[in-house]
Amino acid sequence: MKKALLTLAILGLATVQSFGQRYMTREGYIQFYSSTPMEDIEASSNQATSALDKSNGQLVFRILMRSFTFEKALMQEHFNENYVESEKFPNAQFAGTITNLSDVDFDTDGAYNVSITGKLTIHGVEKERTVNGQLHVKGEELLLETEFMVAPEDHDIEIPSVVRDNIAKEIKVTVKAKYQASGR
Amino acid sequence: MSLRRLITVKSVQRTLFFIFGTALSISSLGQDDMFDMLGEEEEPTVYTTATFKGSRVINLQSTEMPSAGVGQFIILHRFGAINDEPLYNFFGLDVASVRLSFDYSINDYINFGLGRSSGTKVYDGWVKAKLLRQSSGARNMPISLLYYGSVNVNTSKFNDDYDHYFSERVSYVNQVIVGKKFNESFSMELVPTVVHFNVRDTREQPNTLFGLGAGGRLKLTNRVAITADYMLQLPQKNTRLVNGVETAYNNSFSIGVDIETGGHVFQLHLTNSRAISDPNWMMNTPGNWFDGDIFFGFNISRVFTLRRPEQPEAPTF
Repeated sequence: MKKALLTLAILGLATVQSFGQRYMTREGYIQFYSSTPMEDIEASSNQATSALDKSNGQLVFRILMRSFTFEKALMQEHFNENYVESEKFPNAQFAGTITNLSDVDFDTDGAYNVSITGKLTIHGVEKERTVNGQLHVKGEELLLETEFMVAPEDHDIEIPSVVRDNIAKEIKVTVKAKYQASGR
Repeated sequence: MSLRRLITVKSVQRTLFFIFGTALSISSLGQDDMFDMLGEEEEPTVYTTATFKGSRVINLQSTEMPSAGVGQFIILHRFGAINDEPLYNFFGLDVASVRLSFDYSINDYINFGLGRSSGTKVYDGWVKAKLLRQSSGARNMPISLLYYGSVNVNTSKFNDDYDHYFSERVSYVNQVIVGKKFNESFSMELVPTVVHFNVRDTREQPNTLFGLGAGGRLKLTNRVAITADYMLQLPQKNTRLVNGVETAYNNSFSIGVDIETGGHVFQLHLTNSRAISDPNWMMNTPGNWFDGDIFFGFNISRVFTLRRPEQPEAPTF
């Protein structure tokens, strides 16, 4: 009985705590860049949706694969058709937590180094990842910047031998998201 | 009861386990809840891409065109008939007919181009316009619908002593392309066609001819597909004189393979149409598959990005 009450209390606390602690964006910027001696390929999107809870450091991202724009239209078609199979896996997502939340002072403007751990899902394949980034605090706005490498083969993305030299083994992903308080 | 006695190792374990477990459940709860917060993005309209690989199925125009700001150069080749002195002409390789064309898409809906085909030395210009795009999601559209029109000028010499007007050399093609990608590997299109010749060989022949084209594609792998196209002549008088006997032209039929490698599409095929210019392959195909009037041919296309699509900017602080 006591336990049940405690549980309720903790849960209640959690929900109370997270009220008004959440930040959100629908215009998160994600860019990826593949560099090889043969060619460089760059694609970007500013349609990532993301939410960040400053009470517990929880962070989620979601992006439509089709929203990435490439320099060459044909690359975009191949990317969606043959590589990430957007028909089957329309979204990529990340669900994780800022593990050193205590280092961030949300009341003081500045840039804070953060470490984020969570699950990255691309092409339907989930990978546990820890990435480093910077969280900039400016009044009621937050800007999260992070950069990390993704190996296509980690997410079962097949690169045919014909273009093996054109696509990097590791692709650099850059994320920049500017959050506003969500009022939740 | 003193507090100290209450705190046994076991109870500590239990309590820790309990708190930890609760915390865990909260965190996963929180994340689901946060994903809910992002909202199930209203499903955006997803336009169907790559109904066909090339902008031509083989001879027939497909539902595809290069994207906005992209130009395309195509070389089309049809060798001689494989039943015409096969060894002497090396299975037709010695007598080839060739077409060169260049086209450009000013936006995602309008593509225009210029070309020249050997044979009757035809110069042509065309415009291709997307009216409807197959899509799913917010806007559901089961088919793609395009218009294709070309003006063709035959520049081969007249073999007589009469004076001729320029207009006698001109013919027009108008088509509506109705295409559908049924699934990842199978696409089809129907193409009602009207061809108008300003002048025909004989008075009995109508100047305007009607056809119904059909094209299809079956993907074998992500980069290889089997293609076929057909131009059915609607009931009409469309004949030529063979040794003084009126003989009907045949329907054009082609079957081939598409191979895609990055910026190129290779199309290899067998066809009974040796001519490549629009009015000639559509309406003036003397060749007959069953007599072995089969021509081997290929199309090679290369695209050039002349105007880059705008890419989004990163936010700054």
